Amino acid sequence: MKLINRLLRKNTSPSRVAGFIISNFIGLAIIAGGVQFYEDASSLWESDDSFVNSDYLVVNKKVTSEDMLDGNAKTFSEEEIEDLRRQPWVRGTGEFQATDYRVWATVGNGGRDMETMLFFESIPDRFVEAAGAGWGFREGDREVPVIISKDYLTLYNFGFAGSAGLPKISEQLVGGIPLGLDLSSDDGARRLHLTGRVVGFSNRLNTILVPESFMEWSNRTLGSGERKAPSRLIIDVSRPGDVAIGDYLEAHGLEVAGDKSGSSASYLLRVVTGIVLAVGLLITVLSLFILMLSVSLLMEKNRQTLHRLLMLGYDTGAVARPYEGIVVWASGAACVLAVGSALLLRCFYIGALEGLGATGGGWLPGMAAGVALTVVIIAVNVMAVRRKVKASWRL
Amino acid sequence: MERLNEIRLEGLLPEVFAGEGAGESEVWRRTLTFRRGATYMIEAASGAGKSSLCSFIYGARSDYQGTLTFDGTDAGSLSIAQWQRLRRESLAYLPQEPGLFGELTAMENIELKRALTGDVSAAQAERWMKELGVDMRRDYKASKLSVGQQQRVALIRSLCQPFDFLLLDEPVSHLDEANNRLAASIILSEARRREAAVIATSVGNPLLIEADIRLRL
Repeated sequence: MKLINRLLRKNTSPSRVAGFIISNFIGLAIIAGGVQFYEDASSLWESDDSFVNSDYLVVNKKVTSEDMLDGNAKTFSEEEIEDLRRQPWVRGTGEFQATDYRVWATVGNGGRDMETMLFFESIPDRFVEAAGAGWGFREGDREVPVIISKDYLTLYNFGFAGSAGLPKISEQLVGGIPLGLDLSSDDGARRLHLTGRVVGFSNRLNTILVPESFMEWSNRTLGSGERKAPSRLIIDVSRPGDVAIGDYLEAHGLEVAGDKSGSSASYLLRVVTGIVLAVGLLITVLSLFILMLSVSLLMEKNRQTLHRLLMLGYDTGAVARPYEGIVVWASGAACVLAVGSALLLRCFYIGALEGLGATGGGWLPGMAAGVALTVVIIAVNVMAVRRKVKASWRL
Repeated sequence: MERLNEIRLEGLLPEVFAGEGAGESEVWRRTLTFRRGATYMIEAASGAGKSSLCSFIYGARSDYQGTLTFDGTDAGSLSIAQWQRLRRESLAYLPQEPGLFGELTAMENIELKRALTGDVSAAQAERWMKELGVDMRRDYKASKLSVGQQQRVALIRSLCQPFDFLLLDEPVSHLDEANNRLAASIILSEARRREAAVIATSVGNPLLIEADIRLRL
């Protein structure tokens, strides 16, 4: 209805609407860009470990030179575990269980077998996230799934293979090679022969992991029956960034396994992103108020017209529509500009990030953030417009 | 479309009149029913509250005591949406202040109302403009029209919708006798065609119409 628009949009101030579009554009662009950059860059530090949740910490006691002399076993006593469990940031703990027998592993290499002594550890299954993918062992199975530390493969590929003139091997290849496992009790009286298969590599577990059920069964079959205190613990923490965690570990002489500098860089990235997003959000909220005030002022100026149209029998919805149109149009324009800019910015940095080894998070997060905020801005303003129209029903 | 058959006033009184003596009014503080199909002329001295009465019935104001019902439904209980429906389907109103939009032309002002319901054809509206002698001002901005011309345009606008009750608040206060008669004949024929009631007020220059019931406010 053109006449209605002409009447109700009288007194519209283009500069105020432009002011909103610019400020909203800046706020949304910062948020969309920040979210997008965080999504793209975070993979640099948080190389996804599909086996262990990043909220889990693996801790052990620090080994010092004195320990070597006095033969002090760096194990955790029941009291120490109990004390750890009582910390507010601990959701649960699990013990690393070690083999109580000897392990010889053989890799067939075209006639030239390679043999090595090995060890296994296990953690409670609830801490292993790959539980579905062939993880598990039942008595009678001939094959044992194994997860090894990615560091071992790196050591082999870039340390050993190069110097020994051996070919480098990929993760997929390792998964395809069966591992001959000879297990024997300490006295050599009981023996088992099984096949191991590497089902995955972990960044965070510095060990050779087998399923808990296998560990229990094999220790029962081959072990001395004596229960050993664990030397490592896995902890499910509720607030991974909490400084209390670091303080506690420090005070108790504990260290976190697999704690690469990446975690502090990732923490820094999170803090910086947080600050950037907060600034963006502040600007966005302020721009929301600019729009609300401009529309409110416009409606106030046109209050008489609004009232007269309602007196003629126009529905409140029909009278509100021209103002809702301004809101949707201006917010939509700011959103398109902001998301467009964020994605354009991404084109400039994504090449550099990928060069550093980041696996981009796709362009969706930045757009989703921009669109979601725009929907909120439109909803808040539309509600304000409707309230104001109803207020003009009776002068 | 459901038709509105009666508007009933029970002890109705503008709040500003509360505390004043009973007076001689045949409307205020009485029980009174306006019925569809009849013609009412409400005569009053200035300040007796005729515009208030129209505003109460049209829902523009609610500062009254007593009750006002539309076919038994209390006006005080109507939602905004229900009022807006009444204003489109049952109640037509020509306020004392024509209330035209000065920035729109005479025709656009009429069109604004006519297009809302489509009850009256554009050609019919043009015919009324011609009959009332405002057709040559058709494309003039309403703000450029004389008060009498504005009143005639506003009258045509109020007829451009379906109605059961036509409220006319001093409809001919700025018209001469010839235009008064023309307006009266259009109003009467439209009201008859729609089997609607006419409630007109006056303070001395009454619409020249044969009223079924005359009331002193």
